[in-house]
Amino acid sequence: MRSSKTLVSQALKTIAGNLARTGDPLGLKTIYWTRWAKDLHLPRRGDVLLYTARMYQMLPYVVRATDMAAAAKPVLPMLKIHALARMAEMAGALAADPLLRLQGGAEHEIRRRGEAALKGMVTALAAAGIRPAYLHEAEPYSGVLLHDLGMENEVPALARSVYRRLKASGARTIVTTDPHTTFMLREIYPRYVPGFDLDVRHYLQVLAGAASPERVPSTATPPRRVVFHDSCVMARDLGIVQEPRAVLERIGTQIVEPESRGQNTACCGGPVEYGFADLSRSISAIRARELAAGATDVVVTCPICLINLMKHEKSLGIRVWDLGELLTSFVLNN
Amino acid sequence: MKSDEAERDRLLKEIAKCRACRFCVDVCPTYQASGGVESYCAYGRLQITKYLLNGTLAFDDALTYCLYSCLQCRRCEVMCKSKGQNLDICDILGRGRRLLSQRLAEEGNDAKL
Repeated sequence: MRSSKTLVSQALKTIAGNLARTGDPLGLKTIYWTRWAKDLHLPRRGDVLLYTARMYQMLPYVVRATDMAAAAKPVLPMLKIHALARMAEMAGALAADPLLRLQGGAEHEIRRRGEAALKGMVTALAAAGIRPAYLHEAEPYSGVLLHDLGMENEVPALARSVYRRLKASGARTIVTTDPHTTFMLREIYPRYVPGFDLDVRHYLQVLAGAASPERVPSTATPPRRVVFHDSCVMARDLGIVQEPRAVLERIGTQIVEPESRGQNTACCGGPVEYGFADLSRSISAIRARELAAGATDVVVTCPICLINLMKHEKSLGIRVWDLGELLTSFVLNN
Repeated sequence: MKSDEAERDRLLKEIAKCRACRFCVDVCPTYQASGGVESYCAYGRLQITKYLLNGTLAFDDALTYCLYSCLQCRRCEVMCKSKGQNLDICDILGRGRRLLSQRLAEEGNDAKL
């Protein structure tokens, strides 16, 4: 709690500064968000555009950034904050790339899972007869962090710029891959973009509504019995509760429901990780324990939930899957 | 700024609708994780926002932590609605943050509401 004012102030300045300088909340200049789509040959233009907003791709860098903050912990708190702020400023002169280089196996594993989830979504959409376009290196970030942290003054210009870029692809329907971006496009952008006329749908809404043949999953993967974690934004902001369950059932997975589910789901702690990592970890531990009581395989539909619940895999003996990963296994195995 | 003052008045009116039934307290993940500190739940945060807006409390480190540690997960709102009140708690807290964030980014430790 000590020096929270400095910490939040620095976090706000860094995120807004990074976005203004590089268009990326992490301040990375390297194009890190296109690797997953390298072999998929998705067109750049089309009626239906897949918009990832870099959310799954930035996961390993988010983990790297929070690990760096944790490593600085033994130093006096104030020194830590000022040192990190100084580092961010120094990196800002060039880019954050030298600071946020991926290190350990855990970060590469997170990248692998994020990429597998996105590929699974595209594969499942293809099975439902939809081959979306993708903006590749031109794909912008949505600005959801600015909105969440109350930097609303910065949102309108960014929203209009992102909207123009999405429209320039010729798209009329935007298929999103995570709940935060879906919320931003559906609820926040229309406030700031005059004449906003894009049809925004989460990929699970598309899949749940698509007529696809009954399939029998492989006996090896995906898991037969999973406990499902509703993301707060997905369930309470977007009202998407039945769709992920319908898709899981369609791939032949038995769902175990935790006590806190649907509209009454419990948060993974992710939204406060930017500044209060200890609190975030305590919250995710409570939720992970509740989920672990249901089954050893946990399924989530949000990249933030994925990295926060993953932290407890070893201690609780669970495996956290993004639903997109299961779609890869499912479609490839059939 | 005039628009900020008008927003303060609107927020104070919204917060005044809270009946202080406290059913939202137990369901807050930050309240649970902190071992039961009422400043880290919806009811506590609404009171803190009220006292910041009306000038009773000064904007310091502890209150920054209280307000910026809200997950905006809206679990409290489900409870509030089930008890017949239906306040947009996270929207109120989010708008309170908006009044603070720009000042925090520009003035850092010296920021005041």
